[in-house]
Amino acid sequence: MPLTNSESGEEYAAASQLVEDPVFRNSLREAKIIISIWALAMVYTCTYCYLNGYESHPSDPAAIGPAVSSWFGPLKSYDRDPARLTTPLGLGIPDWVFYGVVTPWIVCLLATFVFCLFVFKEDDLGDDQELLPATSEGDSVDG
Amino acid sequence: MAETSITTMVVFLLYIVGVFVLAGLSHQLLSKKSFLSEYFLGSRGLGTWTLAFTFAATSASGGSFGGYPSLIYSHGWILALWIASYMVVPLCTMGIMGKRINQVARKSNAITIPDVLRDRFESSAIGIFASLTIVFFTVCFLVAQFKLGALIIEDTFNFSFALAYEISLVIFAVVVVFYTSYGGFRAVVWTDVMQGIVMGVGVLVLIPIVMAKTGGLENATKTLIQRAPIAVTNVPSPAGAKGTYNDLAFKALGSPHPAGIVYRRPENPNTPLSIDWQPDDPEAFIEITIASDAAGHVISTGNDVKQAIEADPALNNILEVVFPYKNDQVKVIDGEKVSLGATGIIGFPERTTEYRFVMLYGHELVFGPGRSNTGKPFHTLGMVLSFFVFWAITGMAQPSTMVRLIAFKDSKTLNRAIMTVTVYFGMIYLPIIAIIIAARTVLPVLTPEDSDRAIVLVATRLVADMGVWYQILGAIFIAAPFAAVMSTVDSMLLLISSCAVRDIYQRTFDPDVSQRRVKIISYSTTAIAGILITVAALKPPDFLQLLIVFGTGGLAATFLFPTLLGIFWKQMTRQGALAAMIGGFLAMTGLFAPTLVGGSRIDILGLHPNLWSLVVSMTLGVVVSKLTGPPPEHLVRRYFYK
Repeated sequence: MPLTNSESGEEYAAASQLVEDPVFRNSLREAKIIISIWALAMVYTCTYCYLNGYESHPSDPAAIGPAVSSWFGPLKSYDRDPARLTTPLGLGIPDWVFYGVVTPWIVCLLATFVFCLFVFKEDDLGDDQELLPATSEGDSVDG
Repeated sequence: MAETSITTMVVFLLYIVGVFVLAGLSHQLLSKKSFLSEYFLGSRGLGTWTLAFTFAATSASGGSFGGYPSLIYSHGWILALWIASYMVVPLCTMGIMGKRINQVARKSNAITIPDVLRDRFESSAIGIFASLTIVFFTVCFLVAQFKLGALIIEDTFNFSFALAYEISLVIFAVVVVFYTSYGGFRAVVWTDVMQGIVMGVGVLVLIPIVMAKTGGLENATKTLIQRAPIAVTNVPSPAGAKGTYNDLAFKALGSPHPAGIVYRRPENPNTPLSIDWQPDDPEAFIEITIASDAAGHVISTGNDVKQAIEADPALNNILEVVFPYKNDQVKVIDGEKVSLGATGIIGFPERTTEYRFVMLYGHELVFGPGRSNTGKPFHTLGMVLSFFVFWAITGMAQPSTMVRLIAFKDSKTLNRAIMTVTVYFGMIYLPIIAIIIAARTVLPVLTPEDSDRAIVLVATRLVADMGVWYQILGAIFIAAPFAAVMSTVDSMLLLISSCAVRDIYQRTFDPDVSQRRVKIISYSTTAIAGILITVAALKPPDFLQLLIVFGTGGLAATFLFPTLLGIFWKQMTRQGALAAMIGGFLAMTGLFAPTLVGGSRIDILGLHPNLWSLVVSMTLGVVVSKLTGPPPEHLVRRYFYK
C-alpha cells in the first residue's frame, strides 16, 4: 500500500523549512501498526479455522470454478471428522472455534489495550473553533 | 403474534417516550450553539461513552439483533469465523483514520464527509459526487428500514385491522422523523447510547438464564452434532408472498436418509400430487410433483404434501413432517382454537420449475463451510477472506461511521472509546453465538425468513415464567430490532439532510446563507426526506432489495481510498481522488449488475465484489495521482505540515 510519502513532500519541507505535522506522522505510524495487527489476526484466524474447522475443502477447479480454495490443492487430510470434535475446558465451544477465534479474540483485546495505553499518542488535534461564523440575523431559539 | 404481552407494549412505549425526552434535551442545546455544527455534528463534542456507543450502535445497526442471530440459527458455529474480524474492528475502524480525519476536518472546519473531501482536494466535483452517492444509497437503504420498522410495530401491537401496515408505517415515520429533525445529531447519539447499554446488559443477563434452562453449551453442541437431518422449505405463495402458511420441515427419522426434497411444478393441467423416491440411491431427493387444476394452476397446499408423505408406506417410517414456527395456522372457531396446519398453496413464480431443499445434518452446524437450505455452501474460503476484510477495513469507510470520527472531542476520547468498544463487541458478538446455539434445543423449527426472530424467541420463551423483571428483559429484546432500526434510520436521515443542506445548498449555491435560513432548510429537508421515503415504503419496488445489498459495500468502495489516501498520502491529487471514487463505485455496481436482471453477483476467484472494488479504487487512486501529480503545494502544506 502506498502509505509511504513522497519525495515531493520532502521537497516542500526542505524548500520552506516546514515541520511535518506531528498528528500526521503519529497517525501514519499508528495506522501501520494497526494494519499489521489486523493482517496477523487475519492470517492466523483464517488459516487455523480453514484447516481445522472445515468438514470439506473442495479444490477441484472443474467443480468450483477458479476460486481461491482451488489454489491450495486437495486438503483432504484436513477434512474434519465430526466424531472427533473436542470442546476444550468443557466450555462447549468447538475446538477449532476456541483456538481459532476465541483465543485470538482475547489476544487482540489485549493488543488493543497495549496499543491504546502505550503506543497511541494523545495528540492535540487543533482548535475546536466555531465551525460556522455566527450570522447577524436570526440567532433565535426556535426552529 | 402470540408472544406480545402488555409488558412488552409498555416497554416499547417507554422506549419511544425515552427517545422523545432525549430529543427534547438535545433541542435545548441546539438553541445555545452554532446551529449547523451542533445539528449535524454535536459541536464536535462527543465524549468517550457517547462516541463508543454511537459508534457501536451505528456500525452494528439492525444486523446484530436480527440478521446475525438469524444466521447463527441457520448455520451454527461457522458464524464465529464469519464475525471473527470484529476482534480487530474497533481498533481498525476507529484507530486507523480516527485521529487524522478528525484533525483534517478541523483544519477546514468540515462538518460532513463530502465536506472533508471537497476541502482536502479543493474540488466541488468531488463534494457533489460524494453527496449524491450518499443520498442515493441512503435513500434506498432507508425505504427498506422504514418498511421493517412498520412491520415491527404492526407485529408488536397486534394490529389486524385494514391498512394496518400503512398506519404502522405512518406511526414509525412520524416518531423517527420528528425526533431526528427536532433533536439533530446529539439526539441520535444519545439514543444510540441508551440502546447500546440496554442491549449489552440484555445479552449479559440472558447468558446465565439460557445456560441454566437449556442444559448448557457443552450439552447443546454435543446434541447438535448428532441431530438428525432436517430439510426446511421456504416457498412463496402463488401471488409471490413469503410466509403464507405453506412451509414445512422434513425430519429424517431413520435410515436411509434422503438427500432432500424437490417440489416440481406440474407440466400439465389436472396433474395429481405424486411422490417419487429411489431409496437405493444415496444421493436421491424425494421428488414431489405438485397438483394442478383444469386451468393448469397449482393447487397443492403444505397440508396436502404432509398428508401424502404420511400416507406413503415407503416414506412414513423415515420422514416426519412438521410445521415450522408460525406456519401452523390457528383459527378460533366457536370459541375454540383449531389448528388448520399449512393451508397455503405452494406457488411457482414464472420460469421457476422446481425448488430443491437439502437435508442439513447437525454436524454441518458445528463445522464449516455450512450450507443453506438450498444446498449452497455458506462460508467458503473466498468468503472467509472477504469477510475478514469486509468488517474491519470496509467498515471504516461508511460515511455514517466516519462522521462520528470527525465528531469526537479529543485524542484521549478516541483512545478510551477504542478500548470501550473492543470490550463491548467482545461481550456481545461471541456470547450471542453461545446463546443461540444453546437455545436451539428449545426453539421451534424456523424457516430462513422467520429465523430473524431467533433472539426474540429465546428472550420471550425462556423467561416467560420468571416474573415481571424477566418479562421486561424479554420485552427489551422484542423492542431491540426496533431500536436498532431507529438508530440506523436516524443517523441516515441526518446524513441525507447534511448532504443536502451543507454540501449541496450552502457550499454550492449560497455560501452566505443566514443561520435562520439554514435552520429552516435543515428541519424541512429532514422532514421532506422522511415523507418521500414513507411514500416509497408504502409499496417498495422489487429491485430495492438488490440495491440495498450492495449499498453499504458501494459506499465503502466509493469512500475508503479517496479518504484514506487523502489523509495519509501527500501525492494524492484531486483527479486521483475522483478516479478512485468513481472507479470503486462502478466496479461494485458492475459486479452486482447481474442481480438486477435475476442473475447472481460476480465473485471473481470466489472473492466478494467488495474486495475487487477496493482493489480497483486503490489502483486508480494511485495511478491517476502519479500521472496527474504533483498536487498543489498549498494543499500539501496545509494538511501535512504545521
